[in-house]
Amino acid sequence: MAVPVSQMYSVASYVLSNKLRGVKRYPLVLMLEPLFRCNLACAGCGKIQYPDHILDKRLTPEQCWAAADECGAPIVAIPGGEPLIHPEIGRIVEGLVAQKRYLYVCTNAILLERKLKEFTPSKYLTFSVHMDGLKNEHDMAVCRDGVYEIAVKAIKEALKLGHRVTTNTTLFDDANPDRVRQFFDEMMDLGVEGMMISPGYSYHKAPDQQHFLKKARTKDLFSKILSRPKGSWKFNQSPLFLDFLMGKREYQCTPWGNPTYNVFGWQRPCYLLQEGYATTFRELLETTEWQDYGTSKNEKCAECMVHCGYEASAVSDTFGTVSGFARTAKLTMVPTSR
Amino acid sequence: MTDTKSHDTDGSISLEGRVFRPASAAELAEAVELAFDYRGDVTLGLASGEIIAGYLFNRHAKGECPSIEFFPEDAATPRTIVYSAILSIAFTGEDTANGKSWESWASKKESERRAEAQKVEEEARSRGLL
Repeated sequence: MAVPVSQMYSVASYVLSNKLRGVKRYPLVLMLEPLFRCNLACAGCGKIQYPDHILDKRLTPEQCWAAADECGAPIVAIPGGEPLIHPEIGRIVEGLVAQKRYLYVCTNAILLERKLKEFTPSKYLTFSVHMDGLKNEHDMAVCRDGVYEIAVKAIKEALKLGHRVTTNTTLFDDANPDRVRQFFDEMMDLGVEGMMISPGYSYHKAPDQQHFLKKARTKDLFSKILSRPKGSWKFNQSPLFLDFLMGKREYQCTPWGNPTYNVFGWQRPCYLLQEGYATTFRELLETTEWQDYGTSKNEKCAECMVHCGYEASAVSDTFGTVSGFARTAKLTMVPTSR
Repeated sequence: MTDTKSHDTDGSISLEGRVFRPASAAELAEAVELAFDYRGDVTLGLASGEIIAGYLFNRHAKGECPSIEFFPEDAATPRTIVYSAILSIAFTGEDTANGKSWESWASKKESERRAEAQKVEEEARSRGLL
């Protein structure tokens, strides 16, 4: 099983408790961006294009802990920028682990091997290493030769020290399904706990028919990649989200499921779109015009199938419908039945 | 995941270098929206005579007293400035998103890609980030 039972139990009890209390909107994963600065400049990355004085700003550990506490999500993902650049990342992680949040530090792993001494292995802490494919594809995606090999070395060292390690992979429509399947084999051979995959988000002010084609291509690509899955593959994400990527289930986006906090505040409405900021999480929930976002509601959302909008929808399906629960149970017990 | 590839500005004209002196509230609101979407610093000319450069990261366009939130380039904390205090908005900083799409990268010659990658790596190294 890719996700430890204690983590599954924690998330399940959190979701069920919110459902039983009739809470309409609750967060599942806090996307905590303690800085925007990165040591890579991946082509097309929408997270790092800022003036230097903004890239030099950092959230303090206290701001990070307060955001997690205020939000209350059981899972915290720390992307960025590159979080390991943050001089106080060790303290940030320590405080969030003390809060018993399940924490995913999303890193390109360039600094990971050197920084590992700052972290204590814990069931709450996972290094989620950015890997966009096999060596050629990954180095092309991150625009620097040699990064794949650095990341592989760091993964091995982190595993040796007893850390939880997963990979996160963004795929675009130029991905080769056979190469992606080989990549899955290679990652599982490394010994990672599980893999996370998502389609990239590419916003073009294009006519709607192109959006639909794009979405259809995404489903086609993920169907080719995920059909006939190997028993050795483990995914650290909702099985129903993978069904959704393959076009087997339809969901509406849950933009409040993965709220984003960074040096500007609480980002509206989601991790990808920047339509403004709220000062508090409560303000974000209460004053964002949620009805304006999601598939068929907003041009910017038309072709999006990204995890930050739909993974929470998939988890809600698991605990909100009999068919969702049954399908999740089946795919968890027999992953090759997809 | 950190790859979002969400700012494809290729094909559109960057606002870098443009100066807006709105003649009405509607024009001002439009200029503020452009500045909010802009991935570079802007310079504001205020009614008080103050000229201030920085990053406009938020705006509250609705309500009786619309305002922006703005990180001056030399300040640790943001400032709130009401729309009515703004006389001009100049797009003075580099448009950091311009030409940064995946398509733009992929269409470059191998030699151009290598040169750009080396420049980024050297910059990261000089900042002590590698």
